[in-house]
Order: sequence, then C-alpha cells, then structure tokens
Amino acid sequence: MSSNQETIAGVGLADRPRKSRWPARMDLAQSTTGLVLALFMWGHMFFVSTILISKDAMWAVTKMFEGYFFFGKAYPGIVSLVVATILAILVLHAFLAMRKFPANYRQYREFVAHKNLMHHGDTTLWWWQVLTGFALFFLAAAHLYQMLMHPGDIGPYPSADRVWTGSWWPLYLVMLFAVELHGGIGLYRLCVKWGWLEGKDPAASRAKLKTAKWVLTAFFLALGLLTLGAYMKIGYEHRDRAGEVYTPAWVQPNPMEKAP
Amino acid sequence: MTMNATPRNHRKLRFHILRYNPAKADDTPRVQVYELEEAPGMTLFIALTEIREKLDPSLQFDFVCRAGICGSCGMMINGRPSLACRSVTQSFPEDIWLAPLPVFELIGDLSVNTGKWMRGMSEKLETWVHLQQEKLDFTRIEKPMDPALAEEVYELDRCIECGCCVAGCGTARMREDFVGAVGLNKIARFRLDPRDARTDEDFYELVGDDNGVFGCMSLLGCHDVCPKQLPLQTQIAFLRRKMVAQGTKG
Amino acid sequence: MKIVHTDVLVIGGGLAGLRLAIGAKRRGHDAIILSLVPAKRSHSKAAQGGMQASLGNVAKGQGDNEDVHFEDTVRGSDWGADQEVVRMFVNTAPKAVRELAAWGVPWSRVRKGDRTVIINGQKVTITERDEAQGLVAQRDFGGTKKWRTCYAADGTGHAMINAVADQAIADSIPVHERMEALALIHDGNRCYGAVVRDLVSGELSAYVATATAVCTGGAGRVYRTTTNAVICEGIGHALALETGVSALGNMEAIQFHPTGIFPAGILVTEGCRGDGGLLKDVDGHRFMPDYEPEKKELASRDVVSRRMEEHIKKGKGHQSRFGTHLWLDITLLGEKHIHTNLREVWDICHYFLGVDPVKEMIPVRPAQHYTMGGVRTDASGQSATLKGLFSAGEASCWDMHGFNRLGGNSVAETVVAGMIVGESVADYCDAIANAPTVPMGLVREFVEREQAKLAAFTKAGGKEDASVIKGEMQDLMTAKVGIFRTGADLEEAVDKLQKLLVRSRSIGLRSPTLGANPELVTAYRVQRMLKVALTVAYGACVRTESRGAHFRQDYPQRNDAEWLKRTLATWKGDADTLPTLAYEALDVGRMELPPGWRGYGAKDYIDHPDTPARQSAVEAIRAQHAGDRFATQAALMPYEHLLPEYLRGRNERIDERFADGDRPAAATTGQ
Repeated sequence: MSSNQETIAGVGLADRPRKSRWPARMDLAQSTTGLVLALFMWGHMFFVSTILISKDAMWAVTKMFEGYFFFGKAYPGIVSLVVATILAILVLHAFLAMRKFPANYRQYREFVAHKNLMHHGDTTLWWWQVLTGFALFFLAAAHLYQMLMHPGDIGPYPSADRVWTGSWWPLYLVMLFAVELHGGIGLYRLCVKWGWLEGKDPAASRAKLKTAKWVLTAFFLALGLLTLGAYMKIGYEHRDRAGEVYTPAWVQPNPMEKAP
Repeated sequence: MTMNATPRNHRKLRFHILRYNPAKADDTPRVQVYELEEAPGMTLFIALTEIREKLDPSLQFDFVCRAGICGSCGMMINGRPSLACRSVTQSFPEDIWLAPLPVFELIGDLSVNTGKWMRGMSEKLETWVHLQQEKLDFTRIEKPMDPALAEEVYELDRCIECGCCVAGCGTARMREDFVGAVGLNKIARFRLDPRDARTDEDFYELVGDDNGVFGCMSLLGCHDVCPKQLPLQTQIAFLRRKMVAQGTKG
Repeated sequence: MKIVHTDVLVIGGGLAGLRLAIGAKRRGHDAIILSLVPAKRSHSKAAQGGMQASLGNVAKGQGDNEDVHFEDTVRGSDWGADQEVVRMFVNTAPKAVRELAAWGVPWSRVRKGDRTVIINGQKVTITERDEAQGLVAQRDFGGTKKWRTCYAADGTGHAMINAVADQAIADSIPVHERMEALALIHDGNRCYGAVVRDLVSGELSAYVATATAVCTGGAGRVYRTTTNAVICEGIGHALALETGVSALGNMEAIQFHPTGIFPAGILVTEGCRGDGGLLKDVDGHRFMPDYEPEKKELASRDVVSRRMEEHIKKGKGHQSRFGTHLWLDITLLGEKHIHTNLREVWDICHYFLGVDPVKEMIPVRPAQHYTMGGVRTDASGQSATLKGLFSAGEASCWDMHGFNRLGGNSVAETVVAGMIVGESVADYCDAIANAPTVPMGLVREFVEREQAKLAAFTKAGGKEDASVIKGEMQDLMTAKVGIFRTGADLEEAVDKLQKLLVRSRSIGLRSPTLGANPELVTAYRVQRMLKVALTVAYGACVRTESRGAHFRQDYPQRNDAEWLKRTLATWKGDADTLPTLAYEALDVGRMELPPGWRGYGAKDYIDHPDTPARQSAVEAIRAQHAGDRFATQAALMPYEHLLPEYLRGRNERIDERFADGDRPAAATTGQ
C-alpha cells in the first residue's frame, strides 16, 4: 500500500495522523552528506599533498581541476562551482547534524555527565565529533568562502603564500585535526549505523573497523601535517615574492596570463 | 571442611552509595559510604542485603529473582549500568560506587521506576502481536513456524527490560521521549514475528521519527552494556535500513 | 480514605494473575492487577525448562495424549491431587500452548529428519516426522512417560510472561505496580477486595471489587535455601489465612528441586536432565541408576531430591568451602546444544559460579522450589468458604499437584488456571446476585485496622529485630522442615516458630517511618510469613505418613488408609499461635486412577480400604469401552461440565486429526 494513499476503502482519511516521511529522508541525507564530505576530504588531502611530490605535480592537479587539460585553458570558475557544491553539502550536513547536538544546557549537562561516567569509547568519540563538528562550522566555512571567492588562488605558490603570508596556517592546523577526527569517526559510525561490513561476527568486525578508523586517521593526520609543513616552508621561502604565480618551467606561456 | 582451618583475610569493601529520597521534602542527594567485609562468592545482592540488615535499614534497592533474569536490579555500578544481582564483588576494586539508573523516575536511593517507563514504551510502540484474525481455534494443530525463525525471534525476545540500555544511551539521557534500544529491539522482534500482521508501514508510524530509530546516534552504549548480550547494534541498523526504505519510497 | 472500585481485583502480576485478568476483561469486566513489582519481573519469569502439554509433535512424544498426561500428573502427585481438576488441566494445556503460540511465544519448533540426542548417557538418533516440521517441540522432563514439555530454549517462563503481559497491555489492563495487599476485606462470608499499601508512598487505600483473586505465587522464602525470587514470601497465602475463613490446603507439601546451584540456590532447569544431563557424585560416578533403575535422573523431583540427599548422607558428596554438594554434568550435551537450548543455564553458571558448563560440571544440591499447597479452591477456582475470593497458580490449592508437582506442570498451571478461573470470575461478576453491595463501614474498619497495625510498629517501642526473626525462621525451616522430616524435628520447629511468632508481635523499627521503608515491609511481612511457615511445619508434624514431597523418616510409608486426605489450615484468632487443622477426604470411589505404585520411588504403601473395589470397577469400565479412550474416560470420571464452555472439546494432534467439519463451534476462543 502506498504511503501516500490518503483514502482507504474509498473513504477519505486525510485527517488520520500519519508520521512525516521527513525524518527518514533527513536521516538518510545526514549520512549521505557526511559520506560525500568524508570521501571528498580524503580526495582533497591526496590532491593537496601532491606538493610533497613536487610543485609541478601540485600545479598539474590544480590545473586539472580548472579544466586546463580538457579545454586547453584554465577556468577557475569550475573550482568555484565545486566549492559551492561542497559548501552547500556542508551546510546541509551541518543543519542535519545539528539536530543531534545538545539543544540546551540540561541536555549538555546530561551528556557530559554521561560521557564522563561511562568511560565508553564510542560515546566519547561522539562527543569529539560534536566538538570538531562545531569547530568546522567556522573553520570550513571560512576556508570555503575564501576558495569560492578566489578560486584561482590555488597552486604551489598562491596556496603556500596564503598559508604563510596570508596567515591561514593556524586555521589549517586546527582544521586538519578537526576534519580528520570528525571524518574518521563519522565513517566508522556510518558503518555501525547502517550495518555495513558487518560480516558474520559483528563484534569482531566492529573491532576491526575501529582499528581501521584509527589507522586511517593517523595516516591522514601525518600526511596532512607533512603537507601543511611543506606549504609553510614554501610560503616562508616565497614570502618576499608573495602573489607571484607558479609556472612550471615546461609550460609557456603562463596560462594565467592573458595573451598579449 | 578444610577451609575453616585457615581463616582468610577478606577485603574490606567500601560501598559509595548515592542516597536520596525524593519523597522527603528536606532530603538532599548525598553519597554515603558503607564498609563491609567481603565474603567468598559475594554478589552485590548479598552485599546490599547485608548492608540493609546490619547497617542501614532504610536503604532502598530492588531485587526480585537475584539470578539475572528478571531485570529488577539494574543500577550504575562504577559508572556503568549493570545488573547488581550477578555482579560479583571480586571483580571490582575495594571501592564500589553505586548509583540509581539515570533517565528513569527515582523512587529512592538505588530504586528507580523502570516498570512505569517500560509500560509507557510498550503502550506507545504497541509491543504485542497484532493478530491477523480475531478468532482462532486452539483445538486445532498450531500453525507451523520455521524453527530457525523461532530461534531468531527468541533471541530478540530475551530482553528483560532492565533499563541498562536506556541508562547507557547518550540520546536517551538527553531526550526523554527516545524509545531506547529496548523499544527498537521490540519493534525488530515483532517485525520478525510472522504471527504479527503489521507491515513496515505500520512500524514506521511507531518508530519512524527522532524519538524512534532516527533518534539513535549509534553510540552503541546500549549494545555494550546489555546484560543479555542482545544484538542491538545489528538490529537497530537493520531497522534503520528498513525504516529509511519505508520512509523514502513512493 | 482513598477507594478504588473495580469489578475484578487481581493480586499478583505473574502469569496466572495476568491470564486471569485478560479472561475477565475480555468478558467485559474491568480488572486491576496489583503487583509488588512490574508484571514482567514476576517469578513466573524464572520458569526455565518448559510447560507440559500433550501435543505429541516430536517422535518421542508420539502416542501422548490427555490420558497419559493425566496419569503422569496423578502418579506424580502421589494420589494427592484432585483428579477432576487434573483432567480439566490436561485437556486445556494444549489449547493454552496454542493460544500462547498465537500470542507470540517463540516456542522452539520441530525440525524434520534425523537429530542426535542424549538419552541415558548415550547418543541416540531420532527421526522427526515430516508432518511435524515447524510445530511446537517437546523435550523430556522428570516423571513423564512421553516427551511432553514444550519450551522456548530455557527461557520458557520469560517468553510466556512477555507474551501474556503484552496482551494485558494490549487489553489496557492497568497493573498497579509496587502495591501490596495487606488484608482481604470480608464479612466472614464474602470477600469485597483488599486493603492496599503503596510501597513507594506508604499510603493505604481500599480496592473494592466484586471478585478478588489471589495469584501471588509461592512461599519459598520461608526457607533459607530456595530457588524462589525474594518476593515469593507467601503473602497471598497469609492474606487468605488471616481471614480466618478461607483455608490453605496441603501446606506441608513443599517441593525441593534437585538442581539448585550450590550454594546460591539459583535454579538450573530440569531440562538439563531432560536433555540428557547426569547427576554425579564425588567419585564422578553416576549414582541415580543405582537407586532408580527405571527413571534414573528423570524420576519425579521429590524422589530425585531424596536420593541425592541420601547419597550425600552416605558420604558421597563433594566437599567444598561452602559445604557438601553433588554434580550435574551436562558437558556431554555439547557446546552447540548448551548455547542454544540451555543459554540461561550457561549464563547462571558463568556469572554466579565462574563455571563453564560446556567444559565443567555444575555444583548442585536440592533447594526449596515449589509450594504445592495454597488457597484451597473448588474446581472453578473459588474458595469454598469465602465467596468472591478466587485463587490461581502456585498460590492456590486448586489441587492438580497433590503432594508433588511434575516439572513443567507449574507454568502450565498458571496459564491454564488463568484461563479457567478467569471465566469463573467473569461468571461470578455476571451473576446479578453478586452485584456489588459494598458495606462501606466494613471497608473503613479494615483500612483503619491495618493503619493501626502499621502505626504500632513505629510507636509501640518493640525491641525485636524483624530481619533477625526472619533469618531464624528461614534457618529453622530449612533445617527442620526440609526433605527428610521426623516427628522430633517437626515438633521442635513448630515450637520454635510459635515462639518466633510471639516475638514478632513486639518488633521495633530502627527506621520508624511509614513511607517507603524496607524495614517496615520486612516487619509486617515476617509476621505473616511465620503464620504460613506454621501451616507448613504443623501440617507436616501432624501428617504421620510419607506422600510425595512430604517424607517422614519415622513414617516412611504412604498411608492411604489414614491419610488419603487434604490438610485444611485456617487461622481462627489473631492471638492464636497455631493454625487450626481440618481434613478433607479424597473419594477413592470417584477416582479415575485409583491409588497404586507411582512407577518410581518406594513401592510400599498402605492401601485405602476402598481401593480394591474401585480398582475392579475401573477395570470393568475400561473393558466395557475398550478401544474408545474418550468414552472410557467419560464413563470413569466425567469432568467436562466443570470446564468453561469454550475450553471443552478434544485437542487435535498429528495422530488424532480432526475430520473437516467435526468441530464443535463452542470451542472457538476469543469472545
């Protein structure tokens, strides 16, 4: 029987109270947006960390996203588009996840007391998710707004200058920890929430998932710290020429410069 | 008996018990400490009974079966909800902290009104078999049921409504209308039962909101403290998938 | 004064009370259940192994029917049971299992084909019939000829009370939890309800009802070592006793379960032995076949418990730091069986003993388990002497158990009696003559009397400590009124219990408040428990024979000539220290199964003078109706008229199929 059927046996029962379908949709949407953001983040981390390979590699990735290799010309607008999408997903995810936050002092007090009393790993991890999620409202929003408005300022030098000369590194440092913890815990929770990768022995699978979660978090934190360090180093060395755009030696002319 | 020949030194246990009688206007919550000598095989049932008989006749707590099957004696034992009757003192350090289960209405000291909460949950979630037909003929041979399915239903039916899952649940502590793992497990149980005529559409009406399955944040406190080791993690995940499928179709 | 009015007041929220209330409610009468604890926490929950009903689905149950169940039950009772009631019971039990199946009890089901089971210590392959696939399964239990015990793993009572309590919720039957009845309100002829104390606030109120039903379970806590829950203190028994009018029947008939874990006394199910577990002694020797070559571990409980104690007395017990015990060995059943069919047993062993029963033996010793006696009722469940007072389940002496109850017959009784007595209660309420004409003065008088009694505890300045008296009573009962009884011990017990009763009249409180006060509860309960204990001890002292669970070393024979009668105990005056005993003879001339040998246990007994005559009469009737078991039964002892109409009629089985259309319409349930 369709859930939207409002007559039964030909009699209108429109007044019959029925549960809204929205909680189901919102629950699914919260998990889906979370999954998308977490996977995006991992991808993002791999892309920015190409700086550890070389400036050229990072430059190539940047230009790839600007469509340079497809159109023969860079369109930073594409980046803005991606950023706008991510921002929208982030806002949606934050909106949905906020429903779960303590809504008043009493709830806050109850939860903190509960967490401190129980010494229960998954409960404590959720509290970290709340704290990091809260931090990300601001940190991610700031970062994304910057990217949205200055989509072209991505590249070995522009990014490094932003990090160092633009003094974004403290924000990135905090955000790195927040994002990696939040995303790692979130992915683990998605698995147990939906029963993914449960296998024949859910208890054993859960233990494995948790180990995997920590390994991945550690890996991405390490990668992130190295990457951030690399940008800080480049930015520091490049501080006198901040604003200069990086152009690989093998590319002429600079695609950012308009043809004379 | 050889044991009598060698008197053993038993530990002195210190029980830190939250005392509060809400019926007394002038009472304030406080922690009272009772000292007791440990005995071999001592459970918290034995210890608390001894405290009440010898040290403090006013101490309130609940035990019924004292065998871990009735669910009366759930309490916070060193911070975790558990059944007191089958908690052996040997497994604890000398200092044992006891407090009533949170979330439930406090009757006094360690006694809480889980019965009222559970009845309310049962009424709200209609936790009984909804028969397909009113009149059944019980002189005839019963309807066959797949033996494996019967075992699966029994597995979920093992819940003793002790309230540990509710007390161990972060959501339940924040939001008083949350039905808890006990409620969700019951829905999973009746959903599995072929004798219950209800469909997912009906079950969605009962748990398809943030007081029901979508309120669960998968902290798994319930799963980890359940004294009966019910597969709550799996069941809630399963129910979530079914309810999302129901809620997003059509 | 707060007064609550209802049609039916059910005292006790266990299986019997719940099922009775459902029956009355479905007949259109309001019912309120009073319960010390949330209904699902009642002691019914502790029934592990199963419920007897002659469904005959499993191969080893083939050929089972009401007749076989009837004979097993009567033999088990050592002819103490009311045979008409047993007939009512065995005919209703299959219907009860099927009703519960529809209500959601996850009965373990039959798998067709071969399976390996342990019988008499040997692996045996049994082939289940194709047509039994998916039907309710049965396991073996003590004292039964066929495999008859239906079960849900080893949480049968748990699963049953879940289903029945949920139905009560579905029927909107209120359960007033943490409420305790202190006295029945009556005028010597008729019962009008009860004075009730709120255990949380201490407030007293009157529950005024057309019919009042005592369904409070057993009195095991008058003993020290018992499998019973801490709430099984015989308070329902005391309520009836203290009216001075209604009688308690056969209180000396106390069952000891062979396998209480040692030393805690927590029950591990008879299903352990039913499924093939063995009893062993200090040498690891399986001793039961030495005593009971035929039924071995699966003789009736009274016999197995006695044999165990006998064996311990021979020095064959295992000495542990807590005392002497024997062993229950279920390791031979295998890990899979234990983890699926004996899970609660595993849990109990794990948590309370630190023993893994898959690998190790379980220390056991008999412990008090069941109160066969109780509020004496007629076949309809009503007191013969106090109108409007009903009783069902362990609290009652409806009398289907006589002097020993078979394993699996108690949870069966709860629901069956609930079904039958629920109808009686509804009939009673329907009858115009019983329309409530409540004497309000009487109600007030009863409430004030109870109020005064409670106030006396807090004001009178008594010096006795309630929990000390309770402890002494429990020790005395376990030591002197146990499995083996002697005149000297029993006289001593009666004497000391009387002294304790006198002392209990000057109990003082260290914590003298009338609100929520556990000490006050112990104080007023121990006075009542002592009266109940005295009915047990005094009844045992006077009964100079051995019958069922009541075993007198000084009178080891069953003596039908003098003692084929039911003890009736009443408490005449408040100042009395002994119950008044009277006896109700069992009529051999009407018995379907005249007294004889049980098939296990001692073979010598003294016949009743009427037995030979009845025996030949029975044989003649059997010969006359040979081949038709229904006609034979009807000629021997008609009973169907005693059943509510909807519970009459035969039960279908795989081997006794109904032809289509030969079903009487009256047998349809769910009015």
